[in-house]
Amino acid sequence: HCSFLSGAAWARGLLSWARPERWLASGSLFPLSCIHTSTSLQKIGKWEKKNRIVYPPQLPGEPRRPAEIYHCRREIKYSKDKMWYLAKLIKGMSIDQALAQLEFSDKKGAKVIKEVLLEAQELAVRKHNVEFKSNLHIAESLTGRGRYVKRIRCHGRGMFGIMKISRCHYFVKLVEGPPPPPEPPRTGFDQAKEYVQQLRNRTLVHTL
Amino acid sequence: ALVVVCSPLPRLRALLQRCWERLERGLWPGVLGGQSPPWGPALAVQGPVLLPQGINDARESSAEAPSLLESILWMAAPKKRRTVEVNRCRRRHPSKLIEVKRNIDVCPECGNLKQKHVLCGYCYAKVKAETRLIRMEMHKKEGGPFNAPTVETVVLYDGEKPSEKDEGKRIIERARKRPSWFVQN
Repeated sequence: HCSFLSGAAWARGLLSWARPERWLASGSLFPLSCIHTSTSLQKIGKWEKKNRIVYPPQLPGEPRRPAEIYHCRREIKYSKDKMWYLAKLIKGMSIDQALAQLEFSDKKGAKVIKEVLLEAQELAVRKHNVEFKSNLHIAESLTGRGRYVKRIRCHGRGMFGIMKISRCHYFVKLVEGPPPPPEPPRTGFDQAKEYVQQLRNRTLVHTL
Repeated sequence: ALVVVCSPLPRLRALLQRCWERLERGLWPGVLGGQSPPWGPALAVQGPVLLPQGINDARESSAEAPSLLESILWMAAPKKRRTVEVNRCRRRHPSKLIEVKRNIDVCPECGNLKQKHVLCGYCYAKVKAETRLIRMEMHKKEGGPFNAPTVETVVLYDGEKPSEKDEGKRIIERARKRPSWFVQN
């Protein structure tokens, strides 16, 4: 609000910003840094933004935080359910083992995921200060649904069906360090122990 | 979804036939009240309604060979929608997951990965490329189709001379150093 300015001072204040010589300082055009360029009109996905977080510097006594690299590929021409089987295969493996398994898999998505893993490895070494490219393991690997398109599929006798052309996204998170040891499978003894513990945790409620 | 259109008249006929069978078996005793058999259905319908004799004949003939349009009514169909939990149990069953392959080794020649019972892909591609060049030289020497000589062929690289054993053989020259994997006899 300009209520603190008197009438004449307000008019002077208005005209003061309208002076053109304030905009053109020493012959150069005024900076365009506030205007968006064309690249930022595309929506940047949440997975890509995860690479941008910056942690505060660690204190001397803290254990070293392992590097995390998020990478993804969007709109792969493959079904998300079929891609999920490959993502489930490489979850928790070291990157070398994952690349070996994908190289000899017969699936179409295996080639795509291999490219994504190699790109992510390259990113890790170049930008994310990872020392050894083999010292990475796959912490998370997910698939997501891409944009589907409906098309007509012709059957005999003039019948038609509507088929959907499905695409998927693939997301991977690499973490520095050896892969974590696999969890031992739950035995009947563990389940029994948990059950007994649950029985022991029961108390009386709504009483004195 | 498939769009299927069929005429309603055979269905109506089948329905009428079934009603008549039930009457014959005495499942509707209340309807049959002392009327002289055989008697036709008491409904007035449009279309080709058959006389009692006609219906009997149709029933006998259809009992021999049921048509496709009638057997559509007895096809198996799901009763309830499969829930996503049931679907997940089926799709994520361990038998449906991809198995981890344990037959991957390192090729001792080039260091790439290879399956134990399969040739190394990189070495095979290398040999294939060299073979292709040798075959191109052979084609140039022959000049046309059906000119393959009846003698053996020997491939010689830079700085190699044909030995006494290669007397009558056809010699193919390759203008490069001998690759380490191509052993000379």
